Amino acid sequence: MSLARTVKRWPAWALLVLVVVGFMAVGTTRDSGPRTEEQRIESISKRLACPTCVGESVFESRNPASQSIVEVIGVEVRRGELSDDEIIQRITAASEGKERLVPSASGIEALAWALPAAAFVIGVTGLAIAFRRWRDASQQLGAATDDDYALVAAAMAVHDAEAHDADDRDVAAETETHGGPQQS
Amino acid sequence: MNLLAISTNGAIGSAGLIVVLAASCLGALTTGFAIVTGNRAGIRQATNYAWLIVLGATLSVIAMQRALQSRDYSLAYIQQVGSSATPTLYNIAAMWSALEGSILLWVLVLAIFTGAVAWRFRSRRDDPLVAWALVVMFVVCAFFALLSFGPANPFAAGELVPRGFDGPGPNPLLQNHILVLFHPPILYLGYVGFTVPFAFALAALITGRVGEGWLLETRRWALFSWGFLTIGILLGGWWSYEVLGWSGVWAWDPVENASLLPWLTGTAYIHSVLVQQRRGMLRVWNLSLLVATFSLTILGTFITRSGIIGSVHAFGAGEVDGYLLAFFALIVVVSLGLIAWRGDRLRSPGVMDSPISREGAFLANNVVFTVFAFIVLLGTVFPLLVEVVEDRQTVVGAPYFDGLAMPIGLTLLFLMAVAPVLPWRKASMELLRDRLFWPAWCGAGALGTAVLVGADGWAPLIGFALAGFAAGAALRQIVLATRRQGLRGFLGRTNGGMVVHLGVILVAVALVASNAYTNTRNLTLVAGTPVEYSGHTFEFVDVAVRTDARSEATVARTLVDGAMLEPASTRYVRQGVTVPTPGVSTGFTHDVYLTLPENNPPAVGTTQVLMRVQVKPLIMWMWIGGLLMAVGTVLAAFPGKRRRNPLDPVSAPVPAGTRAADLDSTGDIDHDETELHRV
Amino acid sequence: MSDQPVSDHPVSDHPVSDPVSGEVFDVEVGDCGASGKRRVAAPVAVLVALVLGALVFLLAAGGGEGDSAATPLLNRLAPDSTGVYDDGSTFELSRRKGSWVVLNFFTHDCIPCILEHDDLIEFVDQQRSLGTEGAEFYSIVQVSTREQTDAFFAERGGDWPVVYDDDHEFQIDFGVNKVPETWVIDPSGIVRLRLISTVEADTLSRTIQSFREAGL
Repeated sequence: MSLARTVKRWPAWALLVLVVVGFMAVGTTRDSGPRTEEQRIESISKRLACPTCVGESVFESRNPASQSIVEVIGVEVRRGELSDDEIIQRITAASEGKERLVPSASGIEALAWALPAAAFVIGVTGLAIAFRRWRDASQQLGAATDDDYALVAAAMAVHDAEAHDADDRDVAAETETHGGPQQS
Repeated sequence: MNLLAISTNGAIGSAGLIVVLAASCLGALTTGFAIVTGNRAGIRQATNYAWLIVLGATLSVIAMQRALQSRDYSLAYIQQVGSSATPTLYNIAAMWSALEGSILLWVLVLAIFTGAVAWRFRSRRDDPLVAWALVVMFVVCAFFALLSFGPANPFAAGELVPRGFDGPGPNPLLQNHILVLFHPPILYLGYVGFTVPFAFALAALITGRVGEGWLLETRRWALFSWGFLTIGILLGGWWSYEVLGWSGVWAWDPVENASLLPWLTGTAYIHSVLVQQRRGMLRVWNLSLLVATFSLTILGTFITRSGIIGSVHAFGAGEVDGYLLAFFALIVVVSLGLIAWRGDRLRSPGVMDSPISREGAFLANNVVFTVFAFIVLLGTVFPLLVEVVEDRQTVVGAPYFDGLAMPIGLTLLFLMAVAPVLPWRKASMELLRDRLFWPAWCGAGALGTAVLVGADGWAPLIGFALAGFAAGAALRQIVLATRRQGLRGFLGRTNGGMVVHLGVILVAVALVASNAYTNTRNLTLVAGTPVEYSGHTFEFVDVAVRTDARSEATVARTLVDGAMLEPASTRYVRQGVTVPTPGVSTGFTHDVYLTLPENNPPAVGTTQVLMRVQVKPLIMWMWIGGLLMAVGTVLAAFPGKRRRNPLDPVSAPVPAGTRAADLDSTGDIDHDETELHRV
Repeated sequence: MSDQPVSDHPVSDHPVSDPVSGEVFDVEVGDCGASGKRRVAAPVAVLVALVLGALVFLLAAGGGEGDSAATPLLNRLAPDSTGVYDDGSTFELSRRKGSWVVLNFFTHDCIPCILEHDDLIEFVDQQRSLGTEGAEFYSIVQVSTREQTDAFFAERGGDWPVVYDDDHEFQIDFGVNKVPETWVIDPSGIVRLRLISTVEADTLSRTIQSFREAGL
């Protein structure tokens, strides 16, 4: 056990961090070459909705209507003048963007990005506030006194007399209930 | 309509529905009245109404099945989905292939659950908590019976049809694989099952007994519903991948999202409920999660059935959407009203000491799951928002959801890694350092393996590392538990939960890998000329046509590494609909996935075919993970510790309520299975 | 409420008077916590109700058929796209000025296209009965092949000119990615109407008649 303990000290953790950083560096800097035309077509067509079959992207869909859009994308990509966004812009311009699968970051569509961010912030802030209040509350409580333990023991005796038929709880007898009693 | 045209099937079925409707309305009213007036005899009657509901629903379903099997074309529904060409098994499943029958299936499952609650609590039937729960179940039953009796009547008489009439049969998507027999009913078991904990939650609010009693009553109901929902969703993914050729398992389609929403809140619930059981805290929150889960199943059904948001699941739209929306509003108003009213009683007595504790991790889990559910809901209804505000059509699709789900998934993996080693109440850095040591090295190992086999990119690599980390934490718990308890170490909430975690991790790894490293190419294959792509050889052989009474399948027979795959395009003659079927070669490391163009199947005799070839890594592990999740759910439902036999001699009276300290800093597991198991 | 707990645990059911926690918490933390909670529960419930009310409103209001749709091209000169007739000759939209032109974007396998086809036949008949006043009608075939289109018309009738959009010119210029769509262009080449999804013969004829009478 003590050997295991020693192993888990900080040098081993530092080694771990090194190993992870090393692997990440190798993995993320690995050169996968410039994007091919095919990859560009794939990534663009994944961002457009199949026009005649709701819910699939142009890329996934094997529908002729989608295939024709893929052809249009292919023409633009091979021409090589426009960026991905511009190609999407061009294909969706006349249709007011209804074939875009990703909401834009302006106008009302920005809400699709702002609201999740807001929800996340509210959630985390709420948690932080809750823990702060709990911490304040528990500090007011102070440590458990001997009287508290006596109280708990008495209460538990009553409790057990009432409930001994109803449960199958652990029979460990330690009463080290630091931090106050709890309902179980 | 000529009354004589109504068949015996229609009459029996309608009679069954009337019984359900009458019994649930009467049951709700009389039981509610009896509870309020304290009439015990009246309260006891509640179970009898439950039996009546089961009887009526069973009768209706038998009548519907009889009508389907005998092709009783006097019923409008059979005219819609019946066909002499449908094989018997698909004919059984034809019941839930359209709106009216699906609602009937819902009624049946709900009736069974109502009956099960009545049976399970029959010895306590004059307990107001149980009685109120039954009242809530009756109200839900009444609503669905009303749907089935009114706007979605499966027994409505059809137009008179000429002699020799034959119907089109069910939607082709619903008659080309055996899975149709399982996927919808299992999903419904999940959806409907959450009615039970919801009913008990409302009952607890109404009676004011908002303590932990109702939780314990419904823990397993919630767990099993969650399990069925999980399996149902994964089966849907499997179906979409293997059968429908949608090439992915998950497309963030509105209907898929509708099933994911209750799953997310349900998952949050089965975690945070542990905090309430253990610490008596988070009561309002848990009630809210149950209400959310149940109301989201109704909302999901509304989204699915109203066709309000375009979806690949082309279900027939009916007139039920108004009803469903109204019911959703009713649930929300009643539940929120009750929560507001009982807010004082719901106050939890405890405090949380530290965010770095088991309960802190559960809270973080809940925030993440809730935000996730919010995002899914937002993305799903966002097109409506844009339409209402700016009057134009938009689509919110997979790239949006994928982009937002990625950080959420990584956060959840991290929590899955840390939470299982955290003790309740408070954890010290030394303890974390000790307990997380081997799990962290598992993560490093997973990362190293991924890099060695050639994985790249930030997000997938972090995903693999965290998955390994989380798997290490889960394995640690299982190893410690089995070392101590033998095979029993797999049982119980915590240990079973860890098995579920392992399943989730496999699913996550498979999703990450298949999303990031799928190779796709459209290959023009010429007969007799092998083509090399992504380490496999593809050789087109010929085109065959297979016909049966229902359909005509064009099959492009192709050799992949010498094994024959048969991607097909099947035309269902009666509906005039073409359904693609992929050719899949499944392997432990990757699948090869072939699909044909949708509407231009190659002609017989052609020597050249355009085929989409996809090489998708690790897909099989998703199904293995799903299986593991199911197994883990069952394990989690078993009580973990050996029950004490009351007749066993005990050397000395031991205070049963006390137990080993929570702050178990010896580096060992928590024994969580010590709460009341009142079964 | 007359509670009659039969076998429920007293600890579970009456946390406030709980012999264990009641003593400890109600006295010291309970009061401040309780008053805080009491102020919070109802307003939060109302807030959530409002948000969900908005959601219900959204769901109830949304999902209309969206018949006539806005387009940047509305009341502007139609693009001079070209396509190919069945016989290989070129169809130029810009040369159709002088009469009302109705374009129907279609594929052979789209269900709404099949559904609206009988109405289209009726509409063409109605316009032809008006003589030279009547609108010209063209099907702009999106992706279907010649054979598929021929089979479609052979099976379902209709004898108006069919234009193939092989180079996706119409599709891109008009921004039509989802069929069917029906566009109405006036004699001076201005886009007057864009209809998404199925059309009805009478409605379409009446709409064009009202345009004519308005002197457009």
